[in-house]
Amino acid sequence: MARYGMVIEIDKCLGCRACMEACKVENNTPQGHFWMYVFRLEEGEFPNVRQTFMPRSCMHCDNPPCVQVCPTQARFKRTDGLVLTDFDRCIGCQYCSVACPYGVNYLNSRKPSDNYYLDWTEARVKSAEGNVPPYDNPDLNRKHKGNGRRIAGGGHYKGVIEKCTFCVQRLDKGLEPACANACPVDALHFGDLDDPESEISKLLGRRRSFRLKEDLNTQPKVHYVGATAPSSKAREIEAVKGRV
Amino acid sequence: MATNVTRVRHPSYSSQIWHGFLGLLVLLGLYAFYLEYFKGHYFTGLTDVTPWGLYIAGFMFFLGISAGSTIVGLMVHGFGREDYRPLATRAIVVSLVCLSASMLFIMVHLGSIPRALLVPWVWRNPTSLLVYKSLSYYIFALLLLANLYYSIRIAKGQATVRDTAIAKWLSIGAAVYALTALIGADALLFAVVKAREFWNNPLLPPHYGVVALVSGTAMMVLIGVASGWFSRRRLVNNATLSHMGALLAFFIAITGFMDVLDLLIYTYSNEVIGGEARHFLTGSHLPISAVQVLGYSVAFVVLLFPKGRRTPWLAVAAVCALAAVAAYRYNLTTVGVEVQLYSFQQHVHYFPSWTEVSLSLGIAALTMLAYSILTGFLTEGERQGTTQ
Repeated sequence: MARYGMVIEIDKCLGCRACMEACKVENNTPQGHFWMYVFRLEEGEFPNVRQTFMPRSCMHCDNPPCVQVCPTQARFKRTDGLVLTDFDRCIGCQYCSVACPYGVNYLNSRKPSDNYYLDWTEARVKSAEGNVPPYDNPDLNRKHKGNGRRIAGGGHYKGVIEKCTFCVQRLDKGLEPACANACPVDALHFGDLDDPESEISKLLGRRRSFRLKEDLNTQPKVHYVGATAPSSKAREIEAVKGRV
Repeated sequence: MATNVTRVRHPSYSSQIWHGFLGLLVLLGLYAFYLEYFKGHYFTGLTDVTPWGLYIAGFMFFLGISAGSTIVGLMVHGFGREDYRPLATRAIVVSLVCLSASMLFIMVHLGSIPRALLVPWVWRNPTSLLVYKSLSYYIFALLLLANLYYSIRIAKGQATVRDTAIAKWLSIGAAVYALTALIGADALLFAVVKAREFWNNPLLPPHYGVVALVSGTAMMVLIGVASGWFSRRRLVNNATLSHMGALLAFFIAITGFMDVLDLLIYTYSNEVIGGEARHFLTGSHLPISAVQVLGYSVAFVVLLFPKGRRTPWLAVAAVCALAAVAAYRYNLTTVGVEVQLYSFQQHVHYFPSWTEVSLSLGIAALTMLAYSILTGFLTEGERQGTTQ
């Protein structure tokens, strides 16, 4: 069985955020939810300022604290290493949000129909006469392999927690996640960490890497190469938006 | 032929105004609940960066009072303080209504209330402390209900020797259970979270227990004092009130010592991202921290003097202590989630929305109304008995 993970080449990242857009389109996530987020950081003082970009998805940890604390087992780890949410089981207690050291969980705090960028209701789409694309990815409503849980896509119900799934609906079709697929400079690499012949294993063998907050023993499966971890002097260029 | 004459007690004018005011707060809370339940948590000040806030603080506050007020049962049955007995039934009612209030706070915080009712009966994760915590609620509620039944029998003079023995062990059991399993499971929810350095502290469970004792004792002091103000006779005499005041001062001293230990640990923390001490001492939490420090200090100083352990100063000390506990619970919850997960992130301040405040006030008002109605109903026979 594969053990999926991701390797991100920070030195290649342009900060274009195409990965964030691709994630939104593929997973139909509500406003303010960024399953993939690119931190834009700067360090130093003028004129010696260095800018770096750090994409952050769910780390799909090998030892995920969110799975440990979830009272209903809505958050679970699949045999292929993906950490997923059963949207039909989540009670919205947000204990996973509190326990996760990476801040990757998002609560559907409104009815999904009130929280999309466009009004997708049938009447609205018809009245737009084709100007609004009637896009609805059918894969997101499918129950997926394993134990047939509703685990893909965003915005299913009000009051449930959602996060990056590594595009499980695409993986089941043999495709890579939308973010990795969309990156114009090929900075995001996805594959099997246990396969020594996979691209990501070779990258990790070739380049020095780090993982975020390794001291917490969460064993994240997203590795960064091409730079060191942001120092304590780095600062985010934009304010964090908890809600858009 | 014997004639039974029942004297109908009409509530006083001020009592009617007070209950009407509480009723209005409950209606306001219901409106806020309607908005949040049907339209979503968008109406709260909670975000994905600060997912826990006022509701969790309210839940902890009322759970603390619920656990702490079992001290009365412990005093009567564990330490043989018979002078506390008139407060016994009321203490159990306080425990029950505050337990219900804390459950309401959790319920309004959740994204899906119907699904939550399936925990732990249908859905449960053995590694999640939340499962054990929800189970501990049910066990505590059962203990309290059984305790209430026997306490009423004793108060009405209907208890057998066996009933008295059962009541004794139920009271001691409820107190021990509340201050260990109930409060312990609650504190562990926070203490095991490695992602939040502020909570990840082994001192948290004992600290929680002591704070629960402060809030429970302060609440029972207030009830003891208020009984003298609002009815013709006091439930407990001055000596008992003074003893309760001394107990409260003792618990405040311990919790104050633990607060200082906490602050020292945070101040000397090597974590760059920490800064919790700064939040308390200079940051946006300074006003709340001031309420905590001043509340404990004023209460402790007042209770040091024999005159302070009599009315009305005793009531002042109890109110100050309760305010300090509320501030502690609020700071503990909100500072924990406000501390940045990444060193480069900007600080985010959580501030409760008007719906959160309204709903919290509504739950508090409902709790007071429930206490008022339940004690009036459950202690009726007890009152007649003591009057005769």
